Amino acid sequence: MATRQDDLSVKPEGLLHQQYRRTIGWNGKTLKAMREEVDRLTEESGYYAGLKELPFKQSDPIRFEKIFSKLRGGLVHARETAKRVAASPIVEQEGELCFTLYTPEGDSIVTSTGIIIHVGTMGAAIKYMVNHNYEENPGIEPGDIFCNNDCQIGNVHPCDVHTIVPIFWAGEVVGWVGGVTHVIDTGATGPGSMTVGPVTRYDDGYQIACRKIGKNDILSQDWVIESQRSVRTTKYWLLDERTRIAGCHMIRDLVLGIISEEGVDSYRQFTREVIEEGRRGLINRVKAMTIPGKYRQVSFVDIPYRHEDVEVPPYAKVDTIMHAPSEITIHPSGQMELDFSGSSRWGWHSYNATTVSFTSGIWVMLTQTLIPNDRINDGAYFATKFDLPYGAWMNPDDIRTAHSYAWHFLVSAWSPLWRGLSRAYFARGYIEEVNAGNANTSNWLQGGGYNQYGDIHAVNSFEAAAEGMGACAVKDGLDHACAIWNPEGDMGDMEIWELAEPLVYLGRSIKPNTGGYGKYRGGCGYESLRMVWGAEDWTMFFMGNGYISSDCGLMGGYPAASGYRFEAHGTDLKERFANRLPFPQGGDARPADAGYEQVLQADVVKRDKQAITTEQIFENHDLYLNYLRGGPGFGDPLERNPKDVEKDLNGGYLLPEYAQKVYGAVFTKDERGHYQVDEVATQKRQQEIRKERLARGVPTREWMKTERERIVAKDAAVQVRHMYATSFEITPKFLEEFKEFWDLPVDWNLLEQELEMPTFGSSHRMVNKQK
Amino acid sequence: MASRKTQILAIDAGGTMTDTFIIDDMGEFVVGKAQTTPGDESVGLLHSAVDALSFWGMTVEEAFPQLLTGVYSGTAMLNRLVSRKGRKVGLIVNKGMEDFHRMGRAIQSYLGYSYSDRLHINTHRYDPPLVPREWTRGVTERIDLFGNIVIPLYEHEVEPAVRELVDEGVEAIVISLLHSYKNPTHERRVRDIAKATLRKLKRDLPVFASVDYYPVRKESHRTNTTIIEAYAADPSRRTLELVDERMKEQGAKFDVRVMATHGGTISIRANELARTLVSGPIGGVVGGKYLGEALGIQNIVCSDIGGTSFDIALITQGDFTIDTSPDMARLVLSLPLVAMDSVGAGTGSFVRVDPYTKSIVLGPDSAGYRVGGCYPEGGLDTITVSDCHVVLGLINPDNFLGGQIKLDRERAYQSVKEQLADPLGLSVEAASYGVIELLEAQLRNYLESLVMGKGYSPTQFACFSYGGGGPLHTAGYVRGLGFEDVLVPAWAAGFSAFGCGAADFEYRYDRTLDINVGANATQKEQVEAAGILQEAWNELTEKVQQEFEKNGFQSKDVQLRMYFRMQYQGQLNDLEIEAPLATATTADDWKVLTMTFEETYARVYARAARSPELGYTVTGAIVRGSVEVPKPKIPEEPYYGETPPKEAHRGIREVYWDGEWIQADIWEMEALKAGNRIEAFSIIESPATTFIVPLGFEAVLDQHRIFHLRELD
Repeated sequence: MATRQDDLSVKPEGLLHQQYRRTIGWNGKTLKAMREEVDRLTEESGYYAGLKELPFKQSDPIRFEKIFSKLRGGLVHARETAKRVAASPIVEQEGELCFTLYTPEGDSIVTSTGIIIHVGTMGAAIKYMVNHNYEENPGIEPGDIFCNNDCQIGNVHPCDVHTIVPIFWAGEVVGWVGGVTHVIDTGATGPGSMTVGPVTRYDDGYQIACRKIGKNDILSQDWVIESQRSVRTTKYWLLDERTRIAGCHMIRDLVLGIISEEGVDSYRQFTREVIEEGRRGLINRVKAMTIPGKYRQVSFVDIPYRHEDVEVPPYAKVDTIMHAPSEITIHPSGQMELDFSGSSRWGWHSYNATTVSFTSGIWVMLTQTLIPNDRINDGAYFATKFDLPYGAWMNPDDIRTAHSYAWHFLVSAWSPLWRGLSRAYFARGYIEEVNAGNANTSNWLQGGGYNQYGDIHAVNSFEAAAEGMGACAVKDGLDHACAIWNPEGDMGDMEIWELAEPLVYLGRSIKPNTGGYGKYRGGCGYESLRMVWGAEDWTMFFMGNGYISSDCGLMGGYPAASGYRFEAHGTDLKERFANRLPFPQGGDARPADAGYEQVLQADVVKRDKQAITTEQIFENHDLYLNYLRGGPGFGDPLERNPKDVEKDLNGGYLLPEYAQKVYGAVFTKDERGHYQVDEVATQKRQQEIRKERLARGVPTREWMKTERERIVAKDAAVQVRHMYATSFEITPKFLEEFKEFWDLPVDWNLLEQELEMPTFGSSHRMVNKQK
Repeated sequence: MASRKTQILAIDAGGTMTDTFIIDDMGEFVVGKAQTTPGDESVGLLHSAVDALSFWGMTVEEAFPQLLTGVYSGTAMLNRLVSRKGRKVGLIVNKGMEDFHRMGRAIQSYLGYSYSDRLHINTHRYDPPLVPREWTRGVTERIDLFGNIVIPLYEHEVEPAVRELVDEGVEAIVISLLHSYKNPTHERRVRDIAKATLRKLKRDLPVFASVDYYPVRKESHRTNTTIIEAYAADPSRRTLELVDERMKEQGAKFDVRVMATHGGTISIRANELARTLVSGPIGGVVGGKYLGEALGIQNIVCSDIGGTSFDIALITQGDFTIDTSPDMARLVLSLPLVAMDSVGAGTGSFVRVDPYTKSIVLGPDSAGYRVGGCYPEGGLDTITVSDCHVVLGLINPDNFLGGQIKLDRERAYQSVKEQLADPLGLSVEAASYGVIELLEAQLRNYLESLVMGKGYSPTQFACFSYGGGGPLHTAGYVRGLGFEDVLVPAWAAGFSAFGCGAADFEYRYDRTLDINVGANATQKEQVEAAGILQEAWNELTEKVQQEFEKNGFQSKDVQLRMYFRMQYQGQLNDLEIEAPLATATTADDWKVLTMTFEETYARVYARAARSPELGYTVTGAIVRGSVEVPKPKIPEEPYYGETPPKEAHRGIREVYWDGEWIQADIWEMEALKAGNRIEAFSIIESPATTFIVPLGFEAVLDQHRIFHLRELD
């Protein structure tokens, strides 16, 4: 901004016109040489950039802290200001934008609030440019603007669009600033930012691979024209881009101001030390909060693609399951290792992820529990070792993979990490920190067509930002509260969503029984019933878990309820309204009752577990249920305080039959509908249930014996066998462990070829060619 | 001493103490204190006034008849709300949406949290809803965002809903239906049926339809605010009436006014009393605006440091910035609130060394009245910023709060040594100085980014610094920013109360609009757009004038100002802009409005972010109307001279500053005279505040008893 520039001893406009040298790294090096040097020093010493000591911080902690607070405050402020330029509710209301400052080599120094997954994704883009000699061609000059959203370069999914700007000081790159927003549409096969249709990269929509899109702080016209013709929601694209550029430029000015005050050498030293400080900070936290050892856990999520409502090419019509076993090793030194050996292979669907989105995204989860503070940078990455098997869904060995909703697998794979950490907290006595895991952050209501204003439009409801929270070891999970990718949940006002979507609300209700049962239950989710209104040529689809719970309860708690879909087409609602007749309103409290259908005539009603679909045509007066999931529970439900069961019944968080079945509650209901739980009778009933459990149970070894026989006979659903076959194929170590655990014959194996399923991608791949 | 001409009474009725602030025609003032009497606040108020007037040797009977005006602000309503001790309210909403109020939009689970706790999800929690689910009923209807009826009102559902609520024993009924701000017919029909049903039942319960109070978009905000009207505000009206009656009994000849969130005062008879929910913190900003008007300063940064927070507000072109959907008491609301930014950094902020990163962490929590380690009676072990002040000699441990509290320097020293200096490997003095430096650097960054974020440079602003802790740090946080002027009123500690006394008698009404005009709109479309805006202004003007009629003002007495909120089509954030026109009817008028918007937008978001090709949307109309009321006089003293009188000098104290112990002159603030120039290093003390003039600065007291702090080149 102009006023800030006046304060500088070296004017940015002067810098802009300055002749850049051929090498733009520090002290005459190329950026690539700098990258190699940092990696080598880090590798050799075990400290970031070889920094065994932090001389700046140690000798002048106050000044060090002042620089940090100025940078961090400036980034947060730039985000808040720039945010207001955006038009997209995803950015403006849900805060899906983030700015990060990087070193010349692409290591993150400090990040704003927002989606912290991007501490690493834009760094991956910068590293790509550095490693591909961008400084020679296309050249990196002051005032340049770069754009990236290519998943295979480390992005999460194409709708996260990055704007990246180099920061020059006296002819040298002193750093980069990146801004990312989650755009509404990327021109993919279907509308919406995280569309379900894509099964290859070529369906994922408009992908920009680290492209120079502007010079001298101005966007190139050919870029503006092309990008405007490549996506459905042009206005939002435009304003999102302006948001990112405005923020990047504010931060560039901030950095130049700090350098002019502190001197460039101090700034450089600061950036190195603050990353090493971040590394040490995480290690110290781990030491303080956990107990060394190995923590193993697993999760699954369904990929139900062999269904008539999933319109994809034949080779993608596969029903299978994502497998994400994980092992957290905490060393006595505080070093943490995360090993995902045994994960299933990538597939022909939209849920593949890249290693960077995985290793960087994990911080959105860890900042909600282990390190809830503002000092997140690549130091945390350097403090952690990841083993992500090559060829697995989070480390694809083929460039063709689609990623439009990578989060489907990411949120499912991270939920078990809560359980691992929680066991460590519990063991250490930090029971208030225990959390049984995150909800599956769905459903995603998406679609598009002509909206209520007559414009071509795509919608992507972020009601999913308020799912149920996992239960704690001292209290219930919070209801309809947050999402793993955003702890600051906001379901948004209905009146605002109705501005954005041609869908009127007929209900918004807490959804009973969606939180996992337990001594402390998981937080319940909620549901919105929407009626299409004022749209033309409109399509929508569903995206979420349906057949499988992607989370799991902890220490006896139950998983959260899984998903389902409800949609109705060709309804008689118009007549019902005119005649003041009842119609579906509010929640679908007990789906098995099909309550909506009691007050509705429709040509087609779809109510089933197929919670993933591709575009379906919707007419006005058609219905769509958006159900947002609950969180998993903690502890044996029989230990739940009967008074809490009573509160749940009266609050509509629990259906009466499950109060009886799961909690053993004995209760009465008065004429006003109030429940009263009989504590003595309940305790008696709970004793009976315990006895029933004992009668039903078998010793583990016996159970394992019968289970082993099933494994030897390969007696499992084809989806389960397919999942394991891909896991075994990628990670021989996992196969060996599996065989050892179940004491299987030496030659036992489960091969994909044995299964009657399409196997595109199982053999013609680039395995080990890149590595 | 009855010769004093008392003019203004400002009352701040807190939860435990009621402060009264009485100003005379010379601008001098006295402050009185008494315990708040929750049953009938007027009792505590009179005790407090007696206490205040005793300093002038006056009685209430002498002083009250002379008063020109009185302004009340209090926390009774807020306390009622926060402690959930309001009325039993029944709520009628759209059928199918009965849960939305208790769901708190998710956002209400972490409002008011520090950044760290907002991330840390296990700390999140909801407060109990103002209206529980069992006192909520739904009625069938739907209106869309354009105001079209999608589903007609099922009128037959209303009476049973009302009867059930009455059976539940509710004491008031609130109605809030989706998009009622756009088309109020259904909501008003429900209101009328509800009233008719209550008549039938012979029950005299108040009914509040959201559209009659806060006709603005965002149902969570609108519903919460209307519920507060029924739950806490309306029940507080009787309290205010008692205050008014009691004062008139003592000879007061004016109607008591109440400080409201928009920075003006309103009558106790005002329709929308929830607007007076929060008023204390904005008093200083109102005072800043008033002082600015008196001194001819248009752009002001108001900065206030108390024990717990640093609050900043901007006054630009003589006007506050208004936040139309703020949150208070962990609830999202639709009240126009003077926008203030707050950081949890005050003189009482705790100072810790992060065990994991070995970084210094200030706040966000604070010691409050327990001061810090230097105050053993406070029972705290963790050190605070105040402890650092004591170590450095900036605060006189024997004269804290005028000597009411004795501080223990040795204890502060030991605590800072153990908790801060030793872990960082610094001397106790260097560590303490570092904390102050860091705090001031953070405040300075914050101040700078706030001003710059609004598209301005500090050089265009004067900075007012007040509050108990403000003047201690003023030099530190303005250093190097280049403010046009830095002003510290000698009555800094009482500045908020002064501000309340200086507030306009003003109503402000808002209405949501959706006027869309494309980039290539025809002249006819532009005329139509101007017409819709004008119609809204007319409606709001009438509402403003009706309010003033309650206090006997005629429409000709009311000064009106028209505002509009505009954005580019499709955006979600608008800008509130005062219309440069009295009326808007022609296409040229429309162009003037869009031009004004373009200028403001370019300033706030940088020129490159302008997007006129998208067309414009007017999202709201606002009318502000005010009438003349007496205001406190700014003190006026004869010029005395640059050299301070000898008796003002209170000795010398050793102060540790930037690496060395130096001799600081101690001055008594009240004894300084107009024109006095105070050179560094000086500490100017008064019972309620300490003003530091560090090296590189000097301060000059002007004839209005305002210090001007100057940075020397």
